[in-house]
Amino acid sequence: MTVAENQFESLRLELRRGSLTLAVLAQLRQEHYGYTLRKDLAERGLEIDESTLYPLLRRLETQGLLLSEWREEDKRNKRFYHLSPDGEQILAKLLDEWQAINASINHIFEHPESQNSK
Amino acid sequence: MELLDRYLQAVKKYLPARRQDDIIAELRANMESQIEDKESEFGRPLTQGEMEDLLRKMGSPVIVASRYQPQQYLIGPALFPLYLYVLRVVVLWALIVYSIVIVVVLPFASPDHSDIAASLLRTPGILINVAAWVTLVFVAFEFFAARYPEKCPPLAGLADNWSPSSLPPLEKVDLSGRKPRSFTQAVAEVVIGFLMIAWLLLIPRHPFLLMGPGVVVLRVAPYQLAPIWWTFYWWIVGLNALQLAWKTIDLARSRWQQPAPIRQIIFKAVGVIPVALLLSVRDHIYVVLKNPSADQLRYGGHNLDVINNSVHLGFSVICAIVVVQLAWEIGHIVWDAYRRGEAAR
Repeated sequence: MTVAENQFESLRLELRRGSLTLAVLAQLRQEHYGYTLRKDLAERGLEIDESTLYPLLRRLETQGLLLSEWREEDKRNKRFYHLSPDGEQILAKLLDEWQAINASINHIFEHPESQNSK
Repeated sequence: MELLDRYLQAVKKYLPARRQDDIIAELRANMESQIEDKESEFGRPLTQGEMEDLLRKMGSPVIVASRYQPQQYLIGPALFPLYLYVLRVVVLWALIVYSIVIVVVLPFASPDHSDIAASLLRTPGILINVAAWVTLVFVAFEFFAARYPEKCPPLAGLADNWSPSSLPPLEKVDLSGRKPRSFTQAVAEVVIGFLMIAWLLLIPRHPFLLMGPGVVVLRVAPYQLAPIWWTFYWWIVGLNALQLAWKTIDLARSRWQQPAPIRQIIFKAVGVIPVALLLSVRDHIYVVLKNPSADQLRYGGHNLDVINNSVHLGFSVICAIVVVQLAWEIGHIVWDAYRRGEAAR
């Protein structure tokens, strides 16, 4: 990997980190267990490694944003996750923040000349 | 499935004991679902190679397990700048205190200077020891703060108390375009100054350090140095100690970037004093006979005069060079001050 590629990869990961949390919280408004959550996100265009997603679920649960329970499904015990009431509030705030950032970035790209420079 | 069991067993070894069964059970359920999905897609059980590919994609057991660990640092990013600052100050002060002990206290405690060399060799070990203790204290603080955040003073609170008016004044720009001294350069100067003084103090006991193999000639020659050299020697030691103390204070006060030129001139001017002292010696007696009654006829008289006059001539030349250099530097400072005055108008 060249220096430029390495740099891009590092920035890309940094950019993705927060967005992935947002996507996971949003997707967990409906109950999922780890594997189906990963499949659903992939079908919507967001591929996440298993080794990233499963520990992330644990972390979000420790932070009180998710709730989980063990339940049998298809003759197998699985751990199902869903958004907690605190998680719902945080998700709403994060979505607002994300949309504001997105709108600002779009605006910067659409109008590169700042009013101050006129 | 044997490969999956082996994989999960390997992951389990690196997980925190309290949660490992729960994590492994969840990981197993997720991976078995994934394998089932693949098998129903292919319409057959996975081959050994396909299973290996799947596990390889999952990641090595150490990496997978590490992601379940809470993020922890020996010294975290919030504490690290403070750690680096404290480490720098404490190591510097340890060097200063230890230098004072070696240069000032030890020569009196051990008149034969035998302990000085051993003390010098102990310096790196002592500094590493000090750095290790500072690091240990910060690691303990980080450990405690991560587990009991409510009991630790918030670092952000310390940063809130700063005031813009307490910022240091702008550094003076050197009109000659010289780069300001770096911290490393300033520390190196202090360390070299300290070694220089230790070397000077060792010379009376071990003249080999100054003259090398020539010390044998000094031992067998009928001449010895006159007492004036002791005065000269202590002047040199004193001047070096003063310069070292000044540089150390500059370092401790974070003012090492631009040493004041006036101070450098003062040091050079004071440096002329011991040379002038030698030049003012009555009858230019720098070397005397070890045994005047026995050697006066053979080595005294004209021979001794030639040696003493040569030493005097040598020091006259050195003194002239130092004075010319001093005059040049004073002229340079005056010229710089004039240019600065012109630029300010």
